[in-house]
Amino acid sequence: MIWASMKRNPLGLVGLVLLTAMFVMAVGANFIAPYDPTQLTGKPFETPSAQHWLGTNDIGQDILSEVIYGTRISLLIGILSAGIAMLIGTSAGLLAGYYRGILGMLLMRVVDVVLVIPFVPLMVLLAAYLGQNLWNLIAVISLLIWARPARVIRAQVLSLAERDYITAARALGAGDRHILIRHILPGVLSLALAQFVLATSGSILLEASLSFLGLGDPTQKSWGTVLFYAQARNAFLSGAWVWWVLPPGLMITASVLGFALLGFALEEVLNPRLKAHVATEKYREEVNRKNMRDSQHERRKTTPKSQ
Amino acid sequence: MTSFIAGKLGQYLLVLWIAVTLNFALPRLMPGNPLALLAGEEVNLLTSQQRAQLMASVGLDQPLLVQYGRYLQNLARGNFGYSFQKNKPITTILADRLPWTLLLTGSSLFFSTIIGVTLGAMAAWKRGERGDVGLLGFFVFLESLPSFWVGMLLVALFGVQFPIFPTFGAMTPWVTLEGWAHVEDILRHLALPLATLTIVSMSGMFLVARYSMLAVLGEEFITVARAKGVSERNVLFRHALRNALLPIATVFALNLAFAFGGATVVETVFSYPGIGRLVYEAVLNRDYPVLQAAFLMITVMVVFANILTDLLYPLLDPRVRHAVERGGAR
Repeated sequence: MIWASMKRNPLGLVGLVLLTAMFVMAVGANFIAPYDPTQLTGKPFETPSAQHWLGTNDIGQDILSEVIYGTRISLLIGILSAGIAMLIGTSAGLLAGYYRGILGMLLMRVVDVVLVIPFVPLMVLLAAYLGQNLWNLIAVISLLIWARPARVIRAQVLSLAERDYITAARALGAGDRHILIRHILPGVLSLALAQFVLATSGSILLEASLSFLGLGDPTQKSWGTVLFYAQARNAFLSGAWVWWVLPPGLMITASVLGFALLGFALEEVLNPRLKAHVATEKYREEVNRKNMRDSQHERRKTTPKSQ
Repeated sequence: MTSFIAGKLGQYLLVLWIAVTLNFALPRLMPGNPLALLAGEEVNLLTSQQRAQLMASVGLDQPLLVQYGRYLQNLARGNFGYSFQKNKPITTILADRLPWTLLLTGSSLFFSTIIGVTLGAMAAWKRGERGDVGLLGFFVFLESLPSFWVGMLLVALFGVQFPIFPTFGAMTPWVTLEGWAHVEDILRHLALPLATLTIVSMSGMFLVARYSMLAVLGEEFITVARAKGVSERNVLFRHALRNALLPIATVFALNLAFAFGGATVVETVFSYPGIGRLVYEAVLNRDYPVLQAAFLMITVMVVFANILTDLLYPLLDPRVRHAVERGGAR
């Protein structure tokens, strides 16, 4: 069912293809990359050659291998932080949507506060104090991005909690815990999946920014870290930007775009009724509406493109 | 009105309080020498006597609650402490940097809103047609670009390959320019950072503007306006866009935090001397007091801009205004 709807969504397919390529690269990095990126395999600042397709960096490490191995780190941080954020966000959304009293109000206040605090500077502050390693980076990112999914999940819980089958369950004597876990949680899981994919897209971008500011894990180079060194060594002042700056940035863009497209598509497939900020869905919905209106009073001459 | 504003104000005060308390707690909770975390790594160079003196002046020998009270008191007086690295009171440093960040972020918010809303309205108008689909794809792509990377590419292209714009700082150093030449110099230095920040922050505006326009265009009063013979242009800009503005304003407020955060990264790429660049310098030099103050300053700016947007609401939406005038049913 999911596959059938995905096929009708070309953008979602593009996202899937991009991500598959990324995952293959991450898993098979040792087979794909020509060198170990931590080893000095050339002279510093080499230009591209048959040995080093993308040249070498300031200390003589192979840039192509750095970029390929960077996929692992960037995806790992992105997926893990999004996963933790979704755990927090889903729990908060469930509780805030179900217990609409003081608890719900307090939780939503916290969500509002987190949404107003400027992310990047706070992350810089936290990362600077906590120290630079992979796990701190993941903790910091996930602690800041859970609020948006929490809001979306809460909205869904609010509507689910009004349904008849919940009332029925309660009439049959089900407790809050049972209702939340057995009846409401399954109803938001698909939405949470879509939100997870979108959050991954966001956290990859955040990780890149943090690492670019020099707060990444220096022993585990991500794409952002590669760009940090490129910036620190003024790679863009010479021709080196073509092979040192372009490739990692393109990888970041491709993976962020891949997760975003897949997320939009999933949201649409799994939750046709959802009215979230989904560009593709809005677009489709409006085309339908336009079709209807055009047949009602043929004001416009152009026929909408078929899907 | 009062309850609406009061609720919002309470929320913003909470944000500020959390930021302040975080600033207070972090250096004291972390392992290591809290004095170094409070005054900067330079303290290791001081003699033990100087250190004890500093310890007392920062108040580290007092109980936590007293320290906290003193900390709040100092902040309320606008006293952020002293940067031993820059050898200046932090308040002075902040005051030097603030105008540049406001210039960069403010002008970028202006342009990204204008461009995003105009293109969003046009895309909604041509919904489902080729132009709309193209714009939609383009803006989703823009949203995926890392801001610092866009900045680096612009430097490589317009600073090095075709040296049209300066890529470093906010003014030409070592020269004193007067009058128009001075303004032109500042604008030329602003061009690339502004372009970068605008490119990465306009897609949010576009997506929301497009969506809320689509919703409004489906309303019956649009059909009525057309039936009255109002020109298509006027339908779009007079009737539809005005009604689509409220959700746009909401997203504008949400974008503020993003814009100031983005400025941190963009200022770093272009060595633009704003608060964001200050954050970066402070991290590099482990100048913790400056780092804290800069973070607090950015939070204050975001909160302040949010309040301004909230005050704008009643002006945008007569329904809110009437509710407000009736004594705040909200």
